[in-house]
Amino acid sequence: MTGLILYVRSRQVPAALGAAVAGTALAWLPATAFSVKGEVSSTVLALTVLLLVAVATTTLGGPDDTLDRTAARPWGWLRISHLATALGCVLMLLLATLLTGTRFGPFGCAVRDAAGLLGLTALGTATVGTARSWFLPLGWTLGAAAFPGMGTAGEALTWQTQAFDSRPAAVVAAVLTATGTAAYVSRGPRTTAGDLVTEPVRCR
Amino acid sequence: MNRIIGIELRRSAALGAALLIAVAGTIVLQATAGRWSMGWMALAMTQREYLAVLSPLAMAAGAWQSYREHRANVAELLAAVPRPRPQRMVPILATTALAVLVAYLVTLLAAAPRIADTARYLPPAAFVVVAVGLVAMIASVWLGLAVGRLVPALATAPALAVIGFALLILAPHALPDGGLTAAFSPAMGMSMFSDYDTVDGQVSAAQALWMAAVAVAGVVLFAVPNRKFAFAALLPLAIGATATVLVVPTGDAYDQGTLDPVAQELVCTDGTPRVCVSRAHEELLPEVTPKARHALELLTKTSIVEAHEDTSTVSPPTSPRSRADTALMTITLDQHGHLAHPRRLEPTMLTGVFTGPLSCGDNRNFTVATAAAYWLLDREPAAGPDGLEFDDPDAVKLWKGLQALPRAEAEARVVAVYQAARKCQDTTHLLSRGAR
Repeated sequence: MTGLILYVRSRQVPAALGAAVAGTALAWLPATAFSVKGEVSSTVLALTVLLLVAVATTTLGGPDDTLDRTAARPWGWLRISHLATALGCVLMLLLATLLTGTRFGPFGCAVRDAAGLLGLTALGTATVGTARSWFLPLGWTLGAAAFPGMGTAGEALTWQTQAFDSRPAAVVAAVLTATGTAAYVSRGPRTTAGDLVTEPVRCR
Repeated sequence: MNRIIGIELRRSAALGAALLIAVAGTIVLQATAGRWSMGWMALAMTQREYLAVLSPLAMAAGAWQSYREHRANVAELLAAVPRPRPQRMVPILATTALAVLVAYLVTLLAAAPRIADTARYLPPAAFVVVAVGLVAMIASVWLGLAVGRLVPALATAPALAVIGFALLILAPHALPDGGLTAAFSPAMGMSMFSDYDTVDGQVSAAQALWMAAVAVAGVVLFAVPNRKFAFAALLPLAIGATATVLVVPTGDAYDQGTLDPVAQELVCTDGTPRVCVSRAHEELLPEVTPKARHALELLTKTSIVEAHEDTSTVSPPTSPRSRADTALMTITLDQHGHLAHPRRLEPTMLTGVFTGPLSCGDNRNFTVATAAAYWLLDREPAAGPDGLEFDDPDAVKLWKGLQALPRAEAEARVVAVYQAARKCQDTTHLLSRGAR
C-alpha cells in the first residue's frame, strides 16, 4: 500500500483530482447559467473532456521518469491501471453532471471523447514526452470544435464533436485509444535529459 | 537589442510555437478554401474567424513558454543579474509577439497564391482586418505568458486555451447585441453572408481597443513582481471595455456597416450590349460577358438590352432597383474563384426574366419561367450540377409542349409570358393553352 501511496504522490494525483473537479465545475457553472436545454452541445462536451484529459495528462509522467524505470515494479500493470483509473475519474465527473439539470452527455459521446483523447495524449507521452503530449489533442480538438466536419472523412477528422452514433468518429477514437494505450503501456513516458531537472516544488 | 532577441528566439519556444500555429492555421484555412475564394476581403475575414483556433493556440504557446522557464529553474539566477527588470521582460515579450505575428502572416501568405490571379478588389478594410488579427494574436500570447507565470503547471497551457476558446466563441453570444458580440471577440462578426461583406471601421477600432487592453493587462500581469499586485491588470481591462462599448456601433448601425457599398457597385463592359458585375466580382467580367451577351441575343424580342449582376443581399436587406431593360444574373463562385456553375448562368438569368420582378410576390411562376428559358436556350430542363437545382417534371412537360409547337407560335407564347411577368400577371396557362 505504501508503494501505491508513494506512486500517487509522485504523480501529483491529489492536485490533479482537485484541478479536475474544479475544471468540471468551471465548465458546468456557465453551462448552467447560459444554456436553456438539458444537454450541452457537442462542442462544450468535447472542450470539457479535453480540459479533464489535459489535467489527467500531468499524472502520466513523474518528476523523474528515468529514475522511476530503475525500480523493479510491474510497470505494465501500473500503467494500464493508471490509464483506466484516469478514464474512470474523467467519466465519473461527467456522470455526476448527468444528475443535474445541465447534462454533459450523451454518455456515449463522453466515453468516446475521453477514451480517444486519453489515448492520444498517452501516445504523445510515449513519443514526445509528457510535457509536450497535450499539443496534438489541444490543436485537433480546437479545430474540431470550431469546424465540425461532415461526410465520412469529415466525421473521422473531427471525431471529437460528432454525434454519438457516428461510426467513423467511433472508429478513430477506438484506434487512438488502442494505439495510445499500447504505446504507453509498453514504453512508458518518454525520458529525455530535460527530465533530470526536477520540479522546483519537489526539491523542498 | 537585435542580438538579445536573437538569443531569446533560440532559447525560447517561440520558433517552435510559430511553426505549429502556422501549420494549424494553414490546415484549417486550406481545408475550407471555398469560404474565402471570393477575394481578399473574404480571405482576411475568414482568417480572422479562424482566430477561434489560432488565438487559443497562441495563449497556450505563451503559457507553455512561461512553464518552460519555470521548469528550467533559472528565475533566481536571472534575478541575480544586475540589470533593470524591464530589460529581462522586454526580450521575451518581443520574441513571442514576433513569433505569433509571423505565424499569422505566414498562414495568410500561404493562402494568397490560391486567389492571387482571380481576386482583384482589395479594399483598405482588408488591411485593417488583418491588423486587428495581429493585435489579437499578440494579446493572446502575452496573456498566455502572464497566466503561465502566475500558475506554473503543466495543465495551465491547455486549460488556458480551452478557456480562451470559450471566451472567444461561446461567451460573446451572451451579449445582447451583434455589435457588442463582435467588439469583445476578434473572431466574431466575420461570417460572410454575401461576397460584398466587410467589417466596419468602427467595429475594427473597437476590437483593436479591446485586444490592446487585453495585451496591456497581460503585460501588467507578466511584469508585476508580486502576485498581490495582479489586480492592477483589471484597470486596463476596465478602461478598454469602457472605450470599446463607447466606440462600437450597435443595432441597425452595426448591421448596415457589415456591407461594403463600393464592393456592391457595378463595373460594366465598354461595348454594347452592356454587361455589369459588382466590383467584388470584377475579375469575372471576361468570363461572364460572352455568356450574358449570348443570353441577351436570345432576348431580342423583349425590351431587355443589359445584363447586371444581382447584388441583392439578405442581411442587411438590399436589392438592386428593378429596371425594364435589364436582366439580373446570379453569380456564385467555386473554390478557385471562378464561376461555380458556368452553364447555369444563362438559364438562371433567363428564368429570372420570365418570373418577373421580386415585388410581384406570389404571382411569380417559376415552372413556367423555367420552361420558357430552356426553350430559348434549346436545352431540356434537367437537374444536375449545371442545370436545375432540383427536378421539375412540370417544367419538362411544358418545355416538351413548346418544342412540339411551330417555332413562331412557341416564340409568341414565350414573349407573352415575358409581357405578363413584367406586369406581375399570372403566367400559369400562357404556355399550355390549346394550339390556335
